Amino acid sequence: MKNKLYFTLIILFLIIIVINMSTFAHKVNIFAYVEGDRIYTESYFNDGKKCIDSKIEVFDNQGNKLLEGLTNQEGVFSFEIPQKDGELKIVLNASMGHRAEYTITADELKDTVGVIKEGLEEPISSERKDESSFKVSPTEIIGGIGYIIGIFGIIAYFLSRKK
Amino acid sequence: MHISEGILSVPVLVAGASLTATAVGYSLKKMEYKEVPKVAILSSAFFVASLIHVPLGPSSVHLILNGIIGVLLGWTAFPAILVALTFQAILFQFGGLTTLGVNTFNMAFPAIICFYLFRKGIRSGNNLIAFSLAFACGFLAVMLSGIMVAIALIFTGEPFIQVAKLVLIAHLPVMIIEGLLTVFCITFLRKVKPEILDTR
Repeated sequence: MKNKLYFTLIILFLIIIVINMSTFAHKVNIFAYVEGDRIYTESYFNDGKKCIDSKIEVFDNQGNKLLEGLTNQEGVFSFEIPQKDGELKIVLNASMGHRAEYTITADELKDTVGVIKEGLEEPISSERKDESSFKVSPTEIIGGIGYIIGIFGIIAYFLSRKK
Repeated sequence: MHISEGILSVPVLVAGASLTATAVGYSLKKMEYKEVPKVAILSSAFFVASLIHVPLGPSSVHLILNGIIGVLLGWTAFPAILVALTFQAILFQFGGLTTLGVNTFNMAFPAIICFYLFRKGIRSGNNLIAFSLAFACGFLAVMLSGIMVAIALIFTGEPFIQVAKLVLIAHLPVMIIEGLLTVFCITFLRKVKPEILDTR
């Protein structure tokens, strides 16, 4: 009887998860690209919701802060390339402890500097799709539950020896 | 609710880790063999609940379930939440391994408070009292967790007003939903298996 209830509860939670599969959220992601002489950053939560009014800070490779700013309604923040040699680290701080980083390499900066590219929208958005494929897979969820049960199995073993 | 790596200052991290370690040690000592399956199931439930996103309010928030976990488990909520958070950090990159102590304490400490406040009330013979206390339990647990997160961030140096406002506004929908969910669970358990509510 007791076990039956536990199994019902497990199955209930799995059903809820499957229903909610498309709305997994929580982590924040940041993605940045160079276009012309500006760097554009896009920030979003795992479910694709934009991070609005979130703080973005840019550091050079020595860890000095070069500039900071807030994202707009679209989750976008853009700035002029502050320096061309060495990589740039862009840090997103989306309040309540959410944080993410993105690094732009020196090569990326050099390649595009001075070259004005119009109509670059298409390849960028397709690249962004790859970046947003952070979704949690059912395998990981079921695997995680398995690990948890396993750990408590070990705890149960030690508790049973105590007696 | 999960604080990522690289945000908190070292003293806050150390304080969180040592508080969690003490509480986990104490509850493992107290834990009985026959309680283990219950702890494991609720740990899995917590693990999964954080994936359920509540699409309301200005930020991205999710279920926590620490009210119901606290009231059903008591002190063993600490190991349950620690194990679940560890796997969330490893598998989903929610929070982080260095912030594990702080995050566990933020979510498990309100659970313990709810355990002491509501464990008698939810077994009350009067349905109305039991249900309203169950709602209060779910609601309060999330609110307290929010306050704990705010405290952790304030000690690291974020401006107080901004953080407090965010925590309250962002978590209001979740508080209400958790309250309702707790009522639902308690109602179900009272009917089907009332003895599960007799936690020491």
